[in-house]
Amino acid sequence: MASNHTATEENAKRHKVEGPKKHIIAFIFSILLTFIAFATVISGEINKDFIYIILIGLAILQVFVQMAFWMHMKDRGHTFAIIGILTGVFIASTCVIMAEYWAWW
Amino acid sequence: MSAHSHADGQLPHEPEKATLEGRNKVLGFWLFLGGETVLFGTLFSAFLALRHQVLDGPPAHELFSLPLVALATALLLTSSLTSVFAVYALHTHRVKALIGWLIVTVVLGLGFLGLEIYEFYHYVHEGHGFTTSAFSTSFYTLVGFHGAHVAFGILWISLIIAQLMKKGLTVVTAPKVYVAGMYWHFIDVVWVFIFTVVYLMGKVV
Repeated sequence: MASNHTATEENAKRHKVEGPKKHIIAFIFSILLTFIAFATVISGEINKDFIYIILIGLAILQVFVQMAFWMHMKDRGHTFAIIGILTGVFIASTCVIMAEYWAWW
Repeated sequence: MSAHSHADGQLPHEPEKATLEGRNKVLGFWLFLGGETVLFGTLFSAFLALRHQVLDGPPAHELFSLPLVALATALLLTSSLTSVFAVYALHTHRVKALIGWLIVTVVLGLGFLGLEIYEFYHYVHEGHGFTTSAFSTSFYTLVGFHGAHVAFGILWISLIIAQLMKKGLTVVTAPKVYVAGMYWHFIDVVWVFIFTVVYLMGKVV
């Protein structure tokens, strides 16, 4: 059993498994972006539309970081996965833009 | 032993993608997440269009409390990190660590769900019921759908933990763990937009 365990570890080393370091950096980055978003709203002395743009920008940036690192989207072999999710994002953003700008026209 | 085991009894590198079935599951799950994006996109659209129609109910900036939202966000974000640690344990073939991180993820998810139940209970007592206004209905539908996803994820990951304890880590169980991890990250990604669009934008007067 012990020899089997070391063999597994060697196997893991040979293939260079990506360590948790990048994930912790992504986590700290997400916390930071979230903190900036909350702080922007709490301080609240800025123009309303400007705050909206900052908030949406921060959210998109954070989602991008999490999907690239945590969902392994940056790894190779994800071409069709990216096409699939982007199709969903395209339809979803069309709906959102429609609701925000055309619903009460 | 099943036919899926390797001849030397060792797991291959990235066991979730070692079989065609595993690879198909991962790709199929990405397509499913594309569909889930559309589902949440439409719920967000409804909320964005209706969020100012409050009738007699309390408006968003009076209702929401940011410390509660910040705590919920911290719980879900941390659970996303622990599920990524679980996938790292999967890649290094450490079953005990894998089960441990999944349990931590489930506990954090339960904490998030508990906060949300408390939050909804509190809102109803503030006069913000499901049928109070177009704002309240679209709010509960959007946030409630996300909460239902969290509840489903907790149940799903718990069942996977039970299966891992019974069957161990194989090329059959590995894709299940990986796909459940993707689902959990997706829930966190949706929450990023919820706390931004619903709570933070609602607080800006």
